[in-house]
Amino acid sequence: MQALLAFEQAPPLAAPFRFFVTAPFFIMLAGVLLLFTGPQIFVSRWVPETLALTHLVVLGFMLQVMLGAAIQILPVVAGANLAHPLAVARAVHVLLTAGALALAAAFLDLLPFGFWLAVLLLGAGIGLFVVAAGRALAGVPATGPTIGGLKLALVALAGALVLGATLAGGMTERWALPLIETTNLHASWGLGAWGVGLLSAVAYVVVPMFQMTPPYPRWFSRFFGGGLLLAAALMALATFFDWPLFLGLLQALLVWLCGTFCAATLWLQARSRRARPDATQRLWRTAMLCGLAACALWLLAALVPALGERDEWPLLFGVLVLAGGFMSVIVGMLYKIVPFLVWLHLQNRGQGKVVAPNMKAVLAEAPMRRQMLAHFTACALLAGAVLWPDWLARPAGLALFVAAALLAGNLFSSFGVYRRHAALVDARLAELGRGGGA
Amino acid sequence: MTTIRDFMTDDHRRCDDVFAEVEQAMADGDKAAAAAAFVRFQDDVLHHFAAEEGVLFPAFERKTGMSMGPTQVMRSEHVQMRELMRSAAAALAAGDADAYAGDAETLLIMMQQHNMKEENILYPMCDQHLLYESESILPALRSEMPGAAA
Repeated sequence: MQALLAFEQAPPLAAPFRFFVTAPFFIMLAGVLLLFTGPQIFVSRWVPETLALTHLVVLGFMLQVMLGAAIQILPVVAGANLAHPLAVARAVHVLLTAGALALAAAFLDLLPFGFWLAVLLLGAGIGLFVVAAGRALAGVPATGPTIGGLKLALVALAGALVLGATLAGGMTERWALPLIETTNLHASWGLGAWGVGLLSAVAYVVVPMFQMTPPYPRWFSRFFGGGLLLAAALMALATFFDWPLFLGLLQALLVWLCGTFCAATLWLQARSRRARPDATQRLWRTAMLCGLAACALWLLAALVPALGERDEWPLLFGVLVLAGGFMSVIVGMLYKIVPFLVWLHLQNRGQGKVVAPNMKAVLAEAPMRRQMLAHFTACALLAGAVLWPDWLARPAGLALFVAAALLAGNLFSSFGVYRRHAALVDARLAELGRGGGA
Repeated sequence: MTTIRDFMTDDHRRCDDVFAEVEQAMADGDKAAAAAAFVRFQDDVLHHFAAEEGVLFPAFERKTGMSMGPTQVMRSEHVQMRELMRSAAAALAAGDADAYAGDAETLLIMMQQHNMKEENILYPMCDQHLLYESESILPALRSEMPGAAA
């Protein structure tokens, strides 16, 4: 019965929107950091500025949008109703935003006890989300791969958080930890089991929906999420007991799984029945190609020691996964979710008496395409900057800033349409009410 | 045995196919073919709505006693989709490709998220509660949807 009640309750617009409009500012901040720091960022993945930039992207942008979207879609795709969605959204948003800033400041050595402050804030924010979403999902039987995938991804998010907190202890309190291996594990849980896990659970629904493709093969969607989490969990065991060979094999398995997801998605997209690819479809396709390229790079680095020993490859891997992969796909999703939500809420507000502007009237294809091109330019410059940091690091920072500013512009203009039209709707309904009463 | 879920889901996919035909015709610049395909699409969707509102939802409501639950939400989404289809048809009739593209995009997502709720939540509930009635419900649904698979 719980699912029944949940059925009709989409959360208010303010719940997801606060996450969406905050997210681009973190990329702008990352761009500024790159502009100021310059080539130094591309020396190695362990440079403090590089770690700060990475976490501005993964927490400030990626996780921000992911949690906002999850709060929105849980009732729709899973019939899982968050209790007090607006209050949960407000608290998670404030804690996550402050936590991401604190963590970046801690890496940059700008904040005394910054790591512990970040652990506290992020632990509270992400923990609150995990508990709220977990409670909502607990009562829902896993009738499809999406619901099962969401549950597994939630476990992975909690795992990534615990590993992150452990690393903070390792760095500040000198806990006895293999720092490199634990960092790899943290990234495998955060980007692999949570990031790709959540993305795949959502993709089972939205790729066929937005792009009119056949569904993912049943065997794939049934086992993929479990495979990801199992690989990540066994990696934790192999790290703890120090079994390097087993660990290497599990890493290969995780990378192979993620590559399979990208390949399967591209295969489906090639069968799209939509006549012309729009910005969302191009962004998805680019993301999946970057994901495949990252997997190929990982394989090469594992097989060719001369490449595997260089500092550049993990940086290029990071650029492909974070900027080319996750950022592209997230922007693509925002370009469907935001105009649709604006339309939906205006439509409901108009009570069938005042017509809402359609999605393209909320956000037209041209500004989306402009921003998409700016984003692709930024991705290309970032990849180039790994190889030629002296020349390209600062241009890449500038491009990142510009693309994110354009994204913020597109999101705020959509929200502006909402505000203006909502005022019109209210005025019109009041007019009709007066006319009806007279 | 065919379930209500399978039968109604197949009809959703059939409506999707006709929607894709309209889009393909628009992309080819053939507005007459697009308008003709849209008429078929609108017709198929309206028959599907009629089958749900006239046969399936009342049977579900009688059996479960829930008349303000999920079926009510589905009815209100049907109203929104009818409105979007009217607007898209008007845009096609006026030859306004941009207005059609905006309405069609909105309609597509509205329709898909609506279908998802029906296919994942409401239809399985119908199968569960209307197990013994499905032998009479399926033919009644079929007669309301002339284009549906036999």
